[in-house]
Amino acid sequence: MSLTPPDDLLALADSILERIGRDRAEVAVVELDQALTRFARNQIHQNVAERSRRVRLRLMGDEQVGVAEIRGDMENLPDRLIASAEAARRLAPPGDVTPLPRPDAGSDGPVAYPPATAECTPEWRAAQVSTVAAVSARAGLEAFGALQTSLTHTAIVNSLGVRRHAESTATSLVCVTRGESGWGYADRHHHDVEHLDAEGVAVEAVETCGRNQDAIAVEPGTYPVVLSPYAVADLVGHLADLGFSALARQEHRSFMRPGERLMSELVSIADDAGHPAAMPFPFDDEGVSTRSVSCIEEGVCRSFLHDSATALREDVPSTGHALPMPNTIGPWARHLVVAAGESSLDELVAGCGRGLYVTRFWYVRDVHPLRTVITGMTRDGTFLIEHGRLGRAVRDLRFTQSIVDALAEVRGVGRERSIEVDEDERALLVPALCSGSFTFTS
Amino acid sequence: MKDIAALALDVAASSGAAYADCRVVQRGIQALTVKDGSFAEVSSFEDEGMGIRAIVDGAWGFASVDRLDGDSLKRAARDACRIARASARLRRQAVRLAPAPVAVGRYATPMERDPFEVSLEEKMDLLIRADEAMASVRGVTTHEASLEFVREHRFFASSEGSEVEQVIVESGGGIDATATSADEVQTRSFPNSFGRHQLCAGYEAIEAMDLAGSAERIGAEAVALLTAAPCPTGRLTLILDGTQAALQVHESCGHPTELDRVRGDEAAFAGTSFLTPDLVGRFRYGSEQVTITADATTPGGLGTYGWDDEGVAAQRTVLVDRGLFRAYMSSRETAADYGWSSSGAMRAESWNRIPLIRMTNVNLEPGGSSLEEMIATTEHGVYLETNRSWSIDDRRLNFQFGTQNGWEIRDGRRVRLVKNALYAGRTPEFWRSCDAVAGPSEWRVWGVVNCGKGQPGQIMHVGHGAAPCRFRGVAVTAAS
Repeated sequence: MSLTPPDDLLALADSILERIGRDRAEVAVVELDQALTRFARNQIHQNVAERSRRVRLRLMGDEQVGVAEIRGDMENLPDRLIASAEAARRLAPPGDVTPLPRPDAGSDGPVAYPPATAECTPEWRAAQVSTVAAVSARAGLEAFGALQTSLTHTAIVNSLGVRRHAESTATSLVCVTRGESGWGYADRHHHDVEHLDAEGVAVEAVETCGRNQDAIAVEPGTYPVVLSPYAVADLVGHLADLGFSALARQEHRSFMRPGERLMSELVSIADDAGHPAAMPFPFDDEGVSTRSVSCIEEGVCRSFLHDSATALREDVPSTGHALPMPNTIGPWARHLVVAAGESSLDELVAGCGRGLYVTRFWYVRDVHPLRTVITGMTRDGTFLIEHGRLGRAVRDLRFTQSIVDALAEVRGVGRERSIEVDEDERALLVPALCSGSFTFTS
Repeated sequence: MKDIAALALDVAASSGAAYADCRVVQRGIQALTVKDGSFAEVSSFEDEGMGIRAIVDGAWGFASVDRLDGDSLKRAARDACRIARASARLRRQAVRLAPAPVAVGRYATPMERDPFEVSLEEKMDLLIRADEAMASVRGVTTHEASLEFVREHRFFASSEGSEVEQVIVESGGGIDATATSADEVQTRSFPNSFGRHQLCAGYEAIEAMDLAGSAERIGAEAVALLTAAPCPTGRLTLILDGTQAALQVHESCGHPTELDRVRGDEAAFAGTSFLTPDLVGRFRYGSEQVTITADATTPGGLGTYGWDDEGVAAQRTVLVDRGLFRAYMSSRETAADYGWSSSGAMRAESWNRIPLIRMTNVNLEPGGSSLEEMIATTEHGVYLETNRSWSIDDRRLNFQFGTQNGWEIRDGRRVRLVKNALYAGRTPEFWRSCDAVAGPSEWRVWGVVNCGKGQPGQIMHVGHGAAPCRFRGVAVTAAS
């Protein structure tokens, strides 16, 4: 994989800014080199690669803002971009235009960029998938999944002097294995392919699949649960969406009540873009340095995430959590970190007594946002916990549960954490945990 | 476009491809949003690139690039072949494609008013009027109106000689009003949730929505929900409006009749299907009232086109015929596994993604009832409108949906507004309990613009024709 050198990317952004001749503009350039090898039934069935560049211009003036974006190396790209953004700006009705941010002296590091990830080839990906397939086949199982590698260059400049650049990499290996009557799951996400461990992923999925056979039905109801990091990631991602954004508070739709304890004191959640294990990235889509924000501290609601627009309304600094501006979504958590506890997984299971172990949730959706009620299914390995030990596999269940209520009942948190990446490509560093109360509805 | 495709296909052939196809796509998107009277955004997105699929040594490879100079195109074609060779290292059975006629031709979305020719002033004026009308309702805390227009010009060519050119135009719009209290957040959307309703059509589709004329009512409905009673709980008669019926079809019939899911191609991500091939022609999916088709020729549907992204002509497939499961949506590769022909349902989000089996317009065919007749003949039940939440398992059996609005029905009359409604069930039992579907006068084509599938992820715009319909003995409750 190779992309435009950083200086050339910044030069492209600078050249567009210079041609505009207006003192309120922002240019963002994002180049992507991405490849993904997909496998099913122990064979590669889809195998793809993409190279692309997006250039986005935000143009402001006279209380109006216009945005234009181009993906593709079109003829006269700067002129087309400027003309489109200016046409949009002129016709936008005057309104509350959020000012561009000024430089904040933040550094363009740390960033996740190991060269080995940037140099992956289709042959290397096929070799990793072959390892997964071989482990599965030896166990008499079929493997399904995907191995992705990506290299991204990002440059953001604005007419007030913001000038940021970062190169980042990411890689993911997701594997489910199918047996006679049940499935297993494992994944690894990291910025460095050296940490992918294809064999380890396959062994874990095979082991879970082996135990997840001949599942029995259990009655829906409220159970103590031990949730694997895969399942915890789903809960925490949805919790962030439902309340960590300052816009959610400003629109009276956040569950957060600052200073109030809503969860167990074992629960602490931050958004920490600088955490070395959480796909670190130094700035947001406005080029503002992303700060670490403690949202839940020992169960107590603390701080919200800001972009320039929400920060302006409260006369506070942005925390650097902007999506491309302007937008109606508001600040966005991208590096969620749940504090580790002191328990091993076996200790969490032992402390659960009688309950259920959940490997993974599926198709989780909001039901009542203000009360953080969500619904979804269990998948790829749900087990009874009896007498403090993992027991029989149970059939998948639907849950309908308040996330805050589940986290209020946390009895223990795992000391090991893993990196997960959710549907929105957000990194989460999460442990397993035990909650004393979790409601399954069908 | 033709020259670009020809060059890429030539290089693929000389690099060892036994088969290759190429798509060159130019896409423009215009989006306008007004929120809370003070926020306004007008934005444009232009997109251009080429994607090439190749079969080498019996396996697939795909590469895409947004630079359309000769060197970049040649490199992408060679990359696709190199990737295919890498795939072949872990491929036991060679890819086979079901035969398909060579396709040559041109298709364009029929429309009355090109939305890209309508002035930004006219569009923004509509949004401001709608936003102001919602704001005029006391108790509405946030309000948003938006429009989106898409024009996609795509050219498909294959090494078998197909060459088709299509121009697809979409127009979409919607409004949302939200009211909040200490313990409730209630949103009403119009014409549909998820931000907008969208069709393959011109600006006439926006004019027909009457966004501004509906805005005050939508605002008032959001406020009324704050103090509405919770939805009753129990095994009740359930009547769905057309929008919710469309999503029910999408999740519990559209997805499980995608043949790639049956093969396991999506097992690690989107999931599989309970509708296994041995059930074709034998499985009682629903009641006699239930006929569901996949029809890529439905006027206005977001899944309407001339040819799919394998060059297979648009067609109508009966998936469920008066309750009996009959067929799948398929591709050339998946159809070949069973000796069938492709149903023409391969669609790619853009040039940088491979085509996958996607819904076209999966329609619940109209019945002979009406909404008012269904209500009048219901002793105790609920009438639910506009989706709020949705979840279904990976085999598409166990589902739970929530809606924005609800009405309790007693003795044939709507007696009170109810909120936070949820209903749940299992797919075959649910559709077998369907005892009425409204007729053609209440049947409309709805657009779903957020259908996700595939890795890397692809968001597809799909259509669903649906009308209000009724189900007996459904588990209904209120979120609390």
